[in-house]
Amino acid sequence: MPASVRRLTAGLGMPVGSVLFAFFIGALICAVTGANPIAAYAGLICGGLGIGCTQGENPALQISNTIVFFIPLVTTGVAVALPFRAGLFNIGAEGQLLAGSVACCAIGIKFADLPAPILLPMVLVGGMAAGALWAGIAGVLKATVGAHEVVTTIMLNYVAQWLVRFLIVGGPLELAPGTSKSHPIGAGAQLPTLLPADNSVIIFGLPASVFRVHTGLFIALVAAAVFAFLLWRTAFGYEIRAVGQSQKAARYAGVSVRRTIVLTMLIAGAFSGLAGAVQIAGVDHNLTDKFFNDTTGFDAIAVALLGLGSAVGIVLAALLFGALHTGGAIMQSDAGISSNLVLVLQALILFSIAANFVGAIRRGLPFGRRASPELPTELPPAAGLMTEAAVPPPEKT
Amino acid sequence: MSGVGDIVHLLFTANLWQATLAAAVLLLLPALGGVISERSGVVNIAMEGMMLTGAFFAVVADLAWHNPWLATLVAIVAGGLMATIHAVVSIQFRADQIVSGIAINIFAAGLTVFLVNRIYGLQDVGHVGPNELLPYVDIPALDQIPFFGQVVFDQNIVVYIALILLVATHIVLFRTRLGLRIRAVGEHPQAADTAGLNVYVIRYSAVIASGLLSGLSGAFLAIGISNTFVPNMTDGRGYIALAAMIFGKWTPFGAFIACLIFGLGQAVYDNNSIIHVSPYLLSMLPYVLTLIVLAGLVGRATPPAADGLPYVPGSE
Repeated sequence: MPASVRRLTAGLGMPVGSVLFAFFIGALICAVTGANPIAAYAGLICGGLGIGCTQGENPALQISNTIVFFIPLVTTGVAVALPFRAGLFNIGAEGQLLAGSVACCAIGIKFADLPAPILLPMVLVGGMAAGALWAGIAGVLKATVGAHEVVTTIMLNYVAQWLVRFLIVGGPLELAPGTSKSHPIGAGAQLPTLLPADNSVIIFGLPASVFRVHTGLFIALVAAAVFAFLLWRTAFGYEIRAVGQSQKAARYAGVSVRRTIVLTMLIAGAFSGLAGAVQIAGVDHNLTDKFFNDTTGFDAIAVALLGLGSAVGIVLAALLFGALHTGGAIMQSDAGISSNLVLVLQALILFSIAANFVGAIRRGLPFGRRASPELPTELPPAAGLMTEAAVPPPEKT
Repeated sequence: MSGVGDIVHLLFTANLWQATLAAAVLLLLPALGGVISERSGVVNIAMEGMMLTGAFFAVVADLAWHNPWLATLVAIVAGGLMATIHAVVSIQFRADQIVSGIAINIFAAGLTVFLVNRIYGLQDVGHVGPNELLPYVDIPALDQIPFFGQVVFDQNIVVYIALILLVATHIVLFRTRLGLRIRAVGEHPQAADTAGLNVYVIRYSAVIASGLLSGLSGAFLAIGISNTFVPNMTDGRGYIALAAMIFGKWTPFGAFIACLIFGLGQAVYDNNSIIHVSPYLLSMLPYVLTLIVLAGLVGRATPPAADGLPYVPGSE
């Protein structure tokens, strides 16, 4: 095998193996609890990919729904992956996304009468600014007093969640008392859908307006491209990676670690905020109680890890989780198995990546003997993880 | 009306402080678990999931066997099993402890609802009978003390257990050889290893202890305060416990004070009809306060030196 092919397969081995491991354990959990794993996974595949549907689901509609979930997962996935490269763990994508949604909503309601060419950039940039602010708090606290970003971003997530509740349950953005939703944003703030929003046009056997897939798709893909460009083709990207590898070495090389930390968090927050704004502008058009239980920002952690922190990986992982998300609902209605199996699978994927079960199986399980020291301990947690994940263990020749 | 007088009046009612203590204990148990785990050097943000698992299995066992004590035991074991997963993944496999913690929380959220669906179908879990709940116990004589008696000695049995565990945790951590070992492993595992301590065994025990305590808290929530299981019923309490642990600077009594402050917020929230502050703004309080503490405005919050670092034998 040529070296490039071997490197590619070695790079794919860990994530693909992790997913297979999760599905295997998930099937065991189903079987033990008396659910049919084949029916469960058939439901997931039909729901997520529109393949092999038996209960009259429309495949095109399923794929459209998967893409709707895919869009914010890519953008928030990038928002988790970028700080990873700097050795920072951004658990706060959810809070930053909510901040972006709130800002998008507030601007879209306040200036509802402005035309789209002015208002649409306003709500998107406003969302990015709000997300950047939210993450920036954690960045500044990390850079100045060394407060661990994991803890601060967890706290900021909850502040954002309660802020949303405050705003739309009896608060200033509420449509009418008791509705638990905000006013809709103005028409000029809405992202157009990909298909015409016209009930008289029939596409794939359904009125075109039921397909919610929207132009935010391009924004998400551009975000992934910007992430890759920033990380690998700019001086700042080099600084991010230098700080992630070793803060000490980066400092000796003349990189301002504090500035890099703050900037990285600001940019990551802007990505998450953009995801929230695009979600409002493209799909929901208002804040609803649905956002209380939103988990996109947490799914993003799995997306970033499974994607090994690379743009292409993130896009592929976001597709998987988008499909699982959509498939869960169909699995529940068709096979009678709770859609929460998807969360179980997601957790298993996380365990598998974090513990590198695939690598452990390849090397022989570490039980019973003391494994050789192979991880430098001074690396920050996430950086160590990403380094080991991205670099396959040396092969014995 | 939201007059200052009403607030002052509220602060002088024993009911408020009784509710404060109960709410504080719910947070104290996982917070103590967090203190023990992190003192041994294993970051634990998984209390939320362990607590949720405990709550679920408490209800399942209580509905099956109609015995709250057995149910509580099951909940404690279930929490401990969840913690064992965290321990295996983060100590044995040296995984990132934060990722493992997140995975535990997601796993617990998904698995409990999945199992509700498998066991009870798509309808409700059902309610535990009033005689099958963890009982409230008045301590004779002591509960007659004015004000203080009602606040402290007219409480659920778990409150007394938790207060005993609080003192016990403090004594064990700071007054015994075992505690010294736990802290040594969390501050400098290499030195501890050289001194002949088994780093892995101590860390495993500490993480599992955090699961047992969180499981107990889950049982208190599900079959003490409430009488059923609803999806995601812990509602972030495990994370507030995490905040309390940091707020209390990784000490049992510090965490307890933080829990009392957050518990007071909860109790005022429940009495919201009196004081007319937005309950949602009030709910932000634990998180905002913790951010302020982390910002160093109230002294430094410094975790144990080796917190979060996997131990690799033989490394520097």
